[in-house]
Amino acid sequence: MAKTEFNTKKKIKVEHHESDLRGTLASVFLLGFFIIVTWVSVWMLFLDRF
Amino acid sequence: MMNSNKLEKVDSRDAKLSMAYFYVAFIALALGGLAGLLQTLVRSGKVVLPWGIDYYQVLTVHGVLLGLVLTTFFIMGFQFALISRTTGTFTNGARITGWVGFWLMTIGTAMAATMVLLKEASVLYTFYAPLMAHPIFYIGLTLVIVGSWVAGGSMIATYAKWKRNNPGKASSLLTFMAIINTFMWIIATLGVAATVLIQILPWSLGLVDTIDILVSRTLFWYFGHPMVYFWLLPAYMCWYAIVPKIIGGKIFSDSLARLSFILFLLFSIPVGFHHQLVEPGIDPAWKYIQVVLTFMVIIPSLMTAFSLFATFESFGRSKGAKGLFGWFRKLPWGDARFVVPFIGMLSFIPAGAGGIINASHQMNAVIHNTIWVTGHFHLTAATAVVLTFFGISYWLIPHLTGRVLTKAMNKLAIIQGIVWTIGMSFMSGAMHAAGLLGAPRRSSFSEYGGAAQAQEWIPYQIAQAVGGSILFIGIILVLIIFINLAFFAPKGETEFPVGEVADGAEKPPLVFENWKLWLGISAALILFAYTIPFIDIIQNAPPGSKGYKFW
Repeated sequence: MAKTEFNTKKKIKVEHHESDLRGTLASVFLLGFFIIVTWVSVWMLFLDRF
Repeated sequence: MMNSNKLEKVDSRDAKLSMAYFYVAFIALALGGLAGLLQTLVRSGKVVLPWGIDYYQVLTVHGVLLGLVLTTFFIMGFQFALISRTTGTFTNGARITGWVGFWLMTIGTAMAATMVLLKEASVLYTFYAPLMAHPIFYIGLTLVIVGSWVAGGSMIATYAKWKRNNPGKASSLLTFMAIINTFMWIIATLGVAATVLIQILPWSLGLVDTIDILVSRTLFWYFGHPMVYFWLLPAYMCWYAIVPKIIGGKIFSDSLARLSFILFLLFSIPVGFHHQLVEPGIDPAWKYIQVVLTFMVIIPSLMTAFSLFATFESFGRSKGAKGLFGWFRKLPWGDARFVVPFIGMLSFIPAGAGGIINASHQMNAVIHNTIWVTGHFHLTAATAVVLTFFGISYWLIPHLTGRVLTKAMNKLAIIQGIVWTIGMSFMSGAMHAAGLLGAPRRSSFSEYGGAAQAQEWIPYQIAQAVGGSILFIGIILVLIIFINLAFFAPKGETEFPVGEVADGAEKPPLVFENWKLWLGISAALILFAYTIPFIDIIQNAPPGSKGYKFW
């Protein structure tokens, strides 16, 4: 029983290791960066005007 | 997912019901699109409408037909097809209920449209009091809402029956998503039904003289914000669970998709005050609380972005893509069913960023009631949502009518997506820019007595007319494709793509379908966010207003 559980865990670990999502990580960082830049731009406009 | 593999085709009787909704949706697109073109031409200052046609009448036609009719009818038709395909054919009773909903909605639309065309209801699609339309306009809109409840009831009953017959099993992802959207719509429309039936209708019938404007606007925006998510979630259904199949990949995570939809159900509704940030009479503390709840919606939006990037990257890498972004080139760039919704996804990046600015209290002061807001929802609703709806049509219409999308039509559909992108970049871009310079929304052309500031807006208004004209060409192309797919395309079988989860993925936890839990939390959040400020609004109400007709 214990041996079976050990094997299952090992299999999951290997699958996660194989999935390569570097591009996704970079993409979500770029997306976050874009949101921050647009937000800060309008924030500066607000500070300038009010 | 278990049923989706067995049921490959939507039953022909269910297909007829879905098509009925789509016919009305695309007629609304044609008329509403024409009205949109006329608006941008008038606002350029170069065109005056003939025969005494009023700008605000045309604006009402545009908003009501595209914002309310196109979206609601398309979504109902789409959800009927989705549930029929992934849960099973509707029973005769459920289908008849769907038809009753359709006719109520259609009769209501005809009543409201007639009043707008007779110039009795130029109150714009938000129909804010104290602008007062003919009572038939409000009765018509009420029938549209009631019809959507009847149609939604048919969907929920079909889902509930499946759940009873399949205890302990998770429903298909697409049906689950359609049911969340239907619940959200029903909860949200209670607000607009309340203001129309309790306040606006008695007032327009002359039974009462005055109306409490802040109460009516609060009830409207209790409905108005989840309404935009009611438009968006069907697009997300396509992005999460249909596009992966179209590209030949897998759904990144069924559970993540379900969780994000639950978060949308919870956080789309108790947030209406972010549309009323400059409104006096609402305690700023409660505005702040609702802004915080609004920002919670960013979480499922970013989960969606992550999930889609991951789906695309996983697919591209399975095809041998190298480097950081090599997977991007592996996507099927020749397939309109993918390319058109993909443009929609991309447009949601600036659209979402703009939304965060709109909901931020101080920055709302920069853009409130300017044409920036119009530019914003032409990126969300009129690009992200509508292009995805077009992309869905390119396989769903031929699936339902037993026809095929030919290579020529596929090419035309991609051209349509590109035309839309160019037109919207001009129009929405110019709207955002002019809005930052203070140009008002909901306003006909005016030089404002020769004011220097108003002169700055005119070049942008001309750019909007250029964009609007290009977009109208885009609408003509969509209509050509729709008519082709509905009546003239070659007969044949078209796939209804339903995404599959990755091999070895965990089953979604059943707690996601514990409706008592999620609807209970949703109700608790709504009561928390609205009860105290709403009591405050009623107790400290100023004198009511009589009705006004400025047309």
